[in-house]
Amino acid sequence: MRKRLLQVLGVVGVILAVIVLVKVAPAGSATPGPGTRTAWGDPDLQGIWTDEYQTPLQRPAKYATKEAFTDEERAELDRQRAAILRRDQRVEVGSERDVAGAYNAVFQSIKHTGKRTSLVVDPPDGRIPALTPEAKQRADTDRQFRLALLQATQTCKDGDAACAGGKYGPPSPRRAEVAPFYNTGRLNRSDGPEDRSMTERCMAAVLPDFGGYRRIVQAPGTVSIFYDVGQGQGWQRVITLDQKEHLPSTVHQRFGDSRGHWEGNTLVVDVTNFSPKSDFMGARENLHLVERWTRVDAKTLEYAVTIEDPTTWTKSWTVKQEMNRQDEQANRIYYEPRCHEGNYGLPALLSGTRAEEAAFAAGKGPDPATKDSATDFGTEGGVDALTGGG
Amino acid sequence: MSRRSLIAAVLATAVVTAAVSVSVTRLTGQSARPTRTGDGKPNISGVWQVNNEANWDLQAHDARPGAVTQQGVYPYAYAQVPAAPVLALGAAAIVPGSIGVVQGDRQIPYTAAAAARKTENGAHWVDRDPELKCYLPGIPRATYMPYPFQIVQSSNKIQMIYTFSNAARTIHLDTVAGPPDDTWMGHSVGRWDGDTLVVDVTHFNDKTWFDRAGNFHSDALHVVERFTPISPDALRYEATIEDPKTFTRPWTIAMPIYRRLEPEVQLLDFPCIDFTEEFMYGHLRRQQLVKHWESDTMAVDIRRKVPPGEQLFDWYGK
Repeated sequence: MRKRLLQVLGVVGVILAVIVLVKVAPAGSATPGPGTRTAWGDPDLQGIWTDEYQTPLQRPAKYATKEAFTDEERAELDRQRAAILRRDQRVEVGSERDVAGAYNAVFQSIKHTGKRTSLVVDPPDGRIPALTPEAKQRADTDRQFRLALLQATQTCKDGDAACAGGKYGPPSPRRAEVAPFYNTGRLNRSDGPEDRSMTERCMAAVLPDFGGYRRIVQAPGTVSIFYDVGQGQGWQRVITLDQKEHLPSTVHQRFGDSRGHWEGNTLVVDVTNFSPKSDFMGARENLHLVERWTRVDAKTLEYAVTIEDPTTWTKSWTVKQEMNRQDEQANRIYYEPRCHEGNYGLPALLSGTRAEEAAFAAGKGPDPATKDSATDFGTEGGVDALTGGG
Repeated sequence: MSRRSLIAAVLATAVVTAAVSVSVTRLTGQSARPTRTGDGKPNISGVWQVNNEANWDLQAHDARPGAVTQQGVYPYAYAQVPAAPVLALGAAAIVPGSIGVVQGDRQIPYTAAAAARKTENGAHWVDRDPELKCYLPGIPRATYMPYPFQIVQSSNKIQMIYTFSNAARTIHLDTVAGPPDDTWMGHSVGRWDGDTLVVDVTHFNDKTWFDRAGNFHSDALHVVERFTPISPDALRYEATIEDPKTFTRPWTIAMPIYRRLEPEVQLLDFPCIDFTEEFMYGHLRRQQLVKHWESDTMAVDIRRKVPPGEQLFDWYGK
């Protein structure tokens, strides 16, 4: 009897093992490479990852139909880019332009030139699709307001590129207006925190993100990603794998609502429910992402995202990048975003502006409306062919 | 027990276990939660939350009429009334009482100087508590803030993700040297001691607090946490706190942590950096909205217009 019981238990054990194996092995998956499966059999995306190469988001016009650089072209581009002085070159110490260049070359680390001429892989021309008429209208309305706030500044007097489309003149009455849309960039005004950029408010992170570092930790049914986006800013994301339905449409989140599932070796994530306060290149609450995360080999993670918002772009577009596994020891500081905890800059911008207003009212200083705290100068040393900046 | 009845008992147990698993799955809608991971460790992945008053005050305390109070008619602490910052909230601002979570003699063994500092912190709670500014909560406070947190348990890392301030920490089960700087959330190194996850946390700064009562520490803080499953859906949490610059001896807090059993539970956005801007910078606006300076005093406007038809106010003639 005991032998029979053991036999029965043994059979049950085998059946259970088969069931478990069948359940775990994803349909159609290739043979897993070494070190690319978790202990419980899911594709292993874990580790610290970043794109080590610089690739323009959109293909610069001069490269037209050229999709990839040759090794020689990359070496030549690296040589040219390294020669740019960037912000080490100071102009008129103490001027607005000088202060705007406070982050010098030390903060402007540059990456080697990547293989491709654009991160955008679809459309095939490597360019972000055209804006819809309503998005163009929004962008124009926003631009006109920004230009009005710049109107009385030296930037417009000098005809700087930052004032293109605007004019120089006395302070605009529009300075008293509420911004036409919830502001996420730098306005040339500091009436309150909402006039300053999301970066200055320590809320710069957006999804999708193509820079920075990410740490992925998985458990069965869950993938967590911590994003370090630079400037001491970052955020923690949790992707639920076992729930198909998104949050109710009345719930909005800065980074949307992520629902994932495995397709073979690929983690596919659908993201909706964005907040009107989140701003990815002008797309807000109607943004919809479909991400595909694939562990290609021990050192490489491929990330592809299809970006859709029918109120912003005339068609969807797709970005693809390869991320490289990073050393844990070398990156052990990169997981505590504490920009907000040390944000003396934002209150200083506000209180400084209040002091300037008081001085102006007392006839002891210039009209704050004539000063520029919005323009990001800093291309004195030349323009980087891949990033556009100096 | 005969062999046959033993077999019957084994089978009955198996059936009952299966039935319980099924009912739990139905109840929570979550896929069945194994109590062990594949490598035999307790499975503590999931969304958890404490259900206590520790964030108000780690120690035993009476209920009080508001998070901020002032002297009432009597000069007694027990007869205070709600103060302006929370008066408009009525009973929603009441602070619940608690038997406390400090183990042993229930005392926090402050040095004399630190005890004075703690009292002062409590009196200036609104101005000093880093929670009110949405600063990273630190460890152990992150664990018992009154919001859910999620554990993502992998083989050599365990990620803990907190609703409050979107804070997170990685617990390294493998060897990773500490960061070259102090931190708000600490550097967490974990190991399994039987079924208990033991986490050693160091590299703290002196800026986080333990609660809203002003309990605090220095940058010499060292925390040893123990997470022990007491059922598939509950953990015993224990944290031993050591800080020779602040306390005369190590002391320990303990509490249960409960699994959130809602079928669709997930951490939701808690954008408090955004939400605390008026609190932190409102007085620096060109046009004041809610708060402003009057000389060296910060004033918060709590004037409210009572809407028509509000029966109680109508009845006593406002």
